[in-house]
Amino acid sequence: MSSQIVFDNVSKFYGDVLGVNRVNLSIPPGITSLVGPNGSGKTTLMNLMTGLIRPSRGKIEILGLTPDQPEKLFRLVGYCSQFDSFPKGLTGYELIYSFLLLFGHDSATADELAWKAIDRVGLREAANRKAAGYSKGMRQRIRLAQSIAHNPRVLVLDEPLNGLDPLVRAETIALFRLLAKQGCHVILSSHVLHEVDIISDQVILMSGGYVVAEGNIQGVRSEIQEQPMQILIRCDQPNTLASRFFEEDHVVEVRMHVDKKGLLVKTSDPDRFFLLMNRVALAGRRVESVAPVDDDVNSVYEYLIGEEGVR
Amino acid sequence: MNPLWIAQIKAVIRLELRKTFFARRGLWIYLLAFAPVALFTMQAIVENHVKGENPPAGARLITDQELSSIRHGMTMEEVTARLGQPAYTNTSRHPGPDSAKDVQVRVMKYPLETGQFNVVFEDGVVTGTWSRRGGIPFYKETYVFAGVFQFFFIRLAIFFGCLGIFMNLFRGEMLDKSLHYYLLAPIRREVLLVGKFLAGLLAATVIFTFSAALQLVAASLSFDASTISQFLYQQHGFSQIGSYLLVTVLACIGYGSVFLATGLLFKNPIIPAAIVLIWEAANPLLPTLLKKISVIYYLKSMCPVQVPVDPGMPKLLALLVSNTEPVSAYLAVIGLIALSAVVLFASSQRVRTLEINYTTE
Repeated sequence: MSSQIVFDNVSKFYGDVLGVNRVNLSIPPGITSLVGPNGSGKTTLMNLMTGLIRPSRGKIEILGLTPDQPEKLFRLVGYCSQFDSFPKGLTGYELIYSFLLLFGHDSATADELAWKAIDRVGLREAANRKAAGYSKGMRQRIRLAQSIAHNPRVLVLDEPLNGLDPLVRAETIALFRLLAKQGCHVILSSHVLHEVDIISDQVILMSGGYVVAEGNIQGVRSEIQEQPMQILIRCDQPNTLASRFFEEDHVVEVRMHVDKKGLLVKTSDPDRFFLLMNRVALAGRRVESVAPVDDDVNSVYEYLIGEEGVR
Repeated sequence: MNPLWIAQIKAVIRLELRKTFFARRGLWIYLLAFAPVALFTMQAIVENHVKGENPPAGARLITDQELSSIRHGMTMEEVTARLGQPAYTNTSRHPGPDSAKDVQVRVMKYPLETGQFNVVFEDGVVTGTWSRRGGIPFYKETYVFAGVFQFFFIRLAIFFGCLGIFMNLFRGEMLDKSLHYYLLAPIRREVLLVGKFLAGLLAATVIFTFSAALQLVAASLSFDASTISQFLYQQHGFSQIGSYLLVTVLACIGYGSVFLATGLLFKNPIIPAAIVLIWEAANPLLPTLLKKISVIYYLKSMCPVQVPVDPGMPKLLALLVSNTEPVSAYLAVIGLIALSAVVLFASSQRVRTLEINYTTE
């Protein structure tokens, strides 16, 4: 069985409206974030992955299975969608328990798995209340419990941190990390870029239905040659260091940091710049830290798509 | 059958029954289903009220000719000479027109075939007559029941009830945006379809067969035990009851499959539902081959009592009543189940490729 999630030239059109176009992806285990503004095609990609919609063109494989085999696919895949409606009249527990009965589990197994999932999202106290009366955060958590209750190998999560308070958010991120560590594919979408930075092993940047970049975020950043890299240097003699940097042709901009204890340098050749920093350090100048400041998702997204794409 | 599928179908039925039986928006289905029960119960109450004053069995019935021979001003002796002794007599005294002395009012009651003839005397002279009609004889009651069953119960109550139950199984959940709950489970879409259909069928069958049974009970309330016993044991009563209940179940299967399909195939299923209603109503006008693509064609053939066509009956109603090309009960059952199977097969093809796109619903 393949361990990858593969999109092979996948397009989806809603009539004349483009959902996603010519998507080619190969997603390995770990946490993968789909990043992009509203309407960029993140949810479409997730719905395609889970067979809720069908591609107009192309082929999708999830660990060797196609999404039009739900009877096999959903034994491996859990999907926490953004759809906020539940079957009427069910409590949180009944929602998970009944869902597990649909897997063919006997009552005792379904009960055990349901409580385990409810405990993982910290919803035991509210489990016997009607799900329709839950707050937004609780609804998000019960949906998450539903998606993880059968211990899937692929977890697809559409904006999973929406509506969660900071404590639960931290716990949920820890849960994602744990699942990824156990070899699970965790694919989540977000438009909160700093969140993605914290969580993701790899990112897929989307805009207007197209995948504009994919991979490890630092790797993606290094591929963007036309944008000079911005580096923050913390040191005790920023003025002296600035004059040294101006001698280099690849340094295009040097600015004093607002606290006067560092420099923000833009270089068109990061490799040469880091070699230069080695020489500076060997020459005895005290440098506290050297760190790129624009290899986060936010900056990468801005470079690739423009400011209007960043939320 | 695969044990996993059985377990999954049970799980679907468990979820669906809860929604179908206890949904507030399904209240009208109960009202529609049990309306004929109320009708027959009211009829029985009225008839029992009339019959309550009827003479014991064996009393002479007054003919229409004798009834019309009674005139105002006749004396009590003249009346009894023509009609004989009354079955019942009520006597009372009321103040006269000048209030000076009371008037004796006597009402003599004579049984008619279906009701009662009353002769009112004031101080021994006939001052008025009136008759109360009622008490339909049993053989006529079976026609009344057949008429209500064919024209209201099957064509309207079960038709619209199944529309409400089966159309909501998929379309309703699309509108509620909750269908993804099922589609995210590892269940074959065809198994889901079967589970939902069986849940709808179970609900419809329980509601409508219970109603049909209650209607039969209510229709028999105005008859004495010996008449009912005679009907059951000597006039194939059990067979008739069985046929009515079977027709009810088959109607739920037929209309259920049709409305499940329309709910799946059309975004706005009301228009196709109206077309189905017209198609079913126009069945007697259709050519033989097209008649067979209709639920009512098979149901009418299985109804145990055919409603007699009265010469004075409006032509359209007479057309609806007539069953010019009935098929045998066996063929009707097989034909209806085959028709439903074809419709369900078409639905299963659609459900296999069903997409969730709530925004366009």
